[in-house]
Amino acid sequence: MTARAALPPLALYVHVPWCVRKCPYCDFNSHGVGHGAVLPEAEYVEALIEDLDQDLALIEPRALRSIFIGGGTPSLLSPDAYVRLLEACEARLGFEPGIEITLEANPGTVERTRFEGYRQAGINRLSLGIQSFDDALLAELGRIHSGDDAERAVEAARAAGFYNFNLDLMHGLPGQSVEGALADIERALSLSPEHLSWYQLTLEPNTEFFSHPPRLPEEETLFDIQDEGHARLEAAGLERYEISAYARAGGVDRRARHNLNYWRFGDYLGIGAGAHGKLSRRDADGELTVTRRWKSRQPESYLKRRCDPRGFVAGQRQIERDEIGLEFLMNALRLVEGVPLELWQARTGLSNARLAAQTARARSMTLLAEDPGRIKASPRGLLFLNDLLALCESARVPLE
Amino acid sequence: MANDPTRPTLSHIRNFSIIAHIDHGKSTLADRIIQLCGGLSDRELKEQVLDSMDIERERGITIKAQSVTLDYKAEDGRVYQLNFIDTPGHVDFSYEVSRSLYACEGALLVVDAAQGVEAQSVANCYTAIEQGLEVLPVLNKMDLPQADPDAVSHQIEEIIGLDATDACRVSAKSGLGMEGLLERLVRDIPPPKGDVDAPLQALIIDSWFDNYLGVVSLIRLFDGTLEKGDKVLMKSTGRNWEASAVGIFTPKRTETGVLRAGEVGFLVAGIKDIHGAPVGDTITHAKTPQVPRLPGFQKVKPQVYAGMFPISADDYEDFRDALEKLALNDASLDYVPENSDALGFGFRVGFLGTLHMEIVQERLEREYNLDLLTTAPTVVYELAMDSGETLYISNPSKLPDMASVSEMREPIARASILVPQEYVGNVITECVNRRGVQLDLQVLGNQMQLTYELPMSEVVMDFFDRLKSISKGYASLDYSFERFEAAKLVRLDVLINGDRVDALAVIIHRDHAQTRGRVLVEKMKELIPRQMFDVAIQAAIGGHVIARSTVKALRKNVTAKCYGGDVSRKKKLLEKQKEGKKRMKQVGRVEIPQDAFLAVLKTSD
Repeated sequence: MTARAALPPLALYVHVPWCVRKCPYCDFNSHGVGHGAVLPEAEYVEALIEDLDQDLALIEPRALRSIFIGGGTPSLLSPDAYVRLLEACEARLGFEPGIEITLEANPGTVERTRFEGYRQAGINRLSLGIQSFDDALLAELGRIHSGDDAERAVEAARAAGFYNFNLDLMHGLPGQSVEGALADIERALSLSPEHLSWYQLTLEPNTEFFSHPPRLPEEETLFDIQDEGHARLEAAGLERYEISAYARAGGVDRRARHNLNYWRFGDYLGIGAGAHGKLSRRDADGELTVTRRWKSRQPESYLKRRCDPRGFVAGQRQIERDEIGLEFLMNALRLVEGVPLELWQARTGLSNARLAAQTARARSMTLLAEDPGRIKASPRGLLFLNDLLALCESARVPLE
Repeated sequence: MANDPTRPTLSHIRNFSIIAHIDHGKSTLADRIIQLCGGLSDRELKEQVLDSMDIERERGITIKAQSVTLDYKAEDGRVYQLNFIDTPGHVDFSYEVSRSLYACEGALLVVDAAQGVEAQSVANCYTAIEQGLEVLPVLNKMDLPQADPDAVSHQIEEIIGLDATDACRVSAKSGLGMEGLLERLVRDIPPPKGDVDAPLQALIIDSWFDNYLGVVSLIRLFDGTLEKGDKVLMKSTGRNWEASAVGIFTPKRTETGVLRAGEVGFLVAGIKDIHGAPVGDTITHAKTPQVPRLPGFQKVKPQVYAGMFPISADDYEDFRDALEKLALNDASLDYVPENSDALGFGFRVGFLGTLHMEIVQERLEREYNLDLLTTAPTVVYELAMDSGETLYISNPSKLPDMASVSEMREPIARASILVPQEYVGNVITECVNRRGVQLDLQVLGNQMQLTYELPMSEVVMDFFDRLKSISKGYASLDYSFERFEAAKLVRLDVLINGDRVDALAVIIHRDHAQTRGRVLVEKMKELIPRQMFDVAIQAAIGGHVIARSTVKALRKNVTAKCYGGDVSRKKKLLEKQKEGKKRMKQVGRVEIPQDAFLAVLKTSD
């Protein structure tokens, strides 16, 4: 086995750090700039390409399998910006056939007019941040679009030639009832999305909601929303393949290829302000090391790094051998089908004995599926994934 | 300095303590005295230098006795040596107070001029008077607008019987009246008696372990002179040691090479074990073994016992080492290994009171980086067996078969409570609910003094907290062990998912069992977090279940959230979860938090 063949597949994450307005629940690296702000678009794209070049010097180049442009609000940048960026990416790394290129977009009026341009730039998947169709809730969430905007955005996306799109939909919203959550699901289903990310609102530190918490539904209501919503989605032919991700079943595989790569502990480059990357390397003895790198966080300081001898990197850290197993499990166990057993050794460099030790307690509590060929949570394990991971975390694992 | 002919003689020495309730400003007053005598420069004078343990400073209380030697130039032009011996202010540590007082000829009774006298100060003041000390009343916090010095003076006279007509009126905070206080101190407190040329007779007031020096002892010389290099004899152990360092605290430890009769200072003698220099022991020279022992102090007996267990079994050895080290500095700490079916290997530790227990746990966790779980504290019960034997039980789960017990006795405390008249009704009701028997009730100005006999178990639980809350914080309490008395006691067992958890068992009065059992299971239901399965909680006496409740299973515990490539977000969640489990102990499959083990303390609300 050559060193090159043994490395995991490679994806690219591109971060666009600006939003018109920061949402009160959002703890991502996004910075509100107001309506009609003029962004340093061309400069930022050049910075992204330089950032990519700096990363390339450190890795074994592999053709890209997926690109995800997230934010912030990436649809604040024009299609031209992405033409330039994607050409540069392809020239440097090459694209695997059938590469998935996703752009996160807001359903607002301005953005919709750009969909066609994005499609022509080579973007073939849109992820629309709908969150809810309830206008009152959208306002409370600080969203600047309406439920109708969302529907028009989907129409525009289809008209522009996007046959693969994701809707981001939240549940457990302030004051939301089970009926309200199901109504949101119905409207989402009526748009026939290929993919749905259906996730619960959580209050994260360093957000407005954290310091001024809204009134969230009771715990039992949250459970009811999850159970009934899940049943409705599956009945409509959307199959859950990860804790909060659903893809249209049958026919073409519509699972998010880029996210699957995270969950399967693949490699990814992260470029742009505050972007995180994960890269594997094998030394001459074939020993695997995995390094995480992250970039300068503030948009202004990120741009200034163009003329800085340190480059764009704000920090990097090799994952210690005693953490890497847990990081792998934190990702892999989110997948309903889990991952093949072989992936453990290939991605972490650790032995199967270590896996057995790390998961022994979880297994004894029937939180893992009895499938010798796979690392996979049992149905109960998926319900109690936090407990499952805590058990793996607290396991005393002998050093090798 | 040792041979300085100008060094003051006995008539210039004043040894004193300060008696004060928590919050009445003792530490500020002490700091102010130190500052006035130039013991520390302003720059060095950290807030409240005498409370040197972190925990002491955070909780604003003194645990260990400390001393400081100061030079004060009085108005008569003479320089006096003031030896201030600090005393703890909490009821749990009252034995330390009598130790400190033993080394003094006088004491300042510091009373908050706005709040008035509290029971703890009264008790300590009586101790001082009994020991023959001159007590000077001091009204502090005179700068406060609500200060009422006349009323408080009156109260001191009524409650303590001390003439307070010309009590010093000061504000340690602003410095008001402080010079006058020091003048009164050198005028009214008598100098020590003693003969510097007589054979050495010194008392160990306190001993503690220092990592560099070994055991350091705070001593008071009654007769004779002690010099560095002298061969000294510990009367209780009969062992000889060489005095390798002798000196005073200024408050920094300062070697002077000599201590004389009447003085208070430290001795280091190469002793490695605290039991080699026991508190209350008498020291003399090796060449004068005939010098008699001083009365010393009564060994303090722990009032409450609790099991302490490491959250992780791997920490047992570290825990044992930490207890050993802590016991070097805390002669009142008593511990024996304990093995619990539910909690594994740990120790049964005896404490002076529940505050002492909290402080020990906090120190073990903070200074030795341990995660510990403490079971509900219990008092010691006396069992008369059919065989004629007498057993003392400090662990409910070790109660023998009741068929072989002829009588079970519980410890009774004599409690003295001071409370403003308007809250007396509440206090009496509380005492009755706790099976108290009233011995005395006196009106003392606008205060009432209640004397009760109460089961010690009722006193050490949350009695003090309850008194405070039913009197808007005004009630104060002092108590001491009185005797054992026969009582109808039963063991209340707690079963979690059908299994008896030995560490949750408590001994209670039969008449309270039904109610307490019901409140206990409800309280535990609130405290045990929902888990992957139902958790059934039952309270039982013998085989008979008297109360039950259920913590319903969580339906799921999974975070449906997109994280992207930043793995630190996911890890934070796990860490948050781990933090929440820090104080949880796995009993069978069930995670039980520390609070639930102490739920029985809260069942009287």
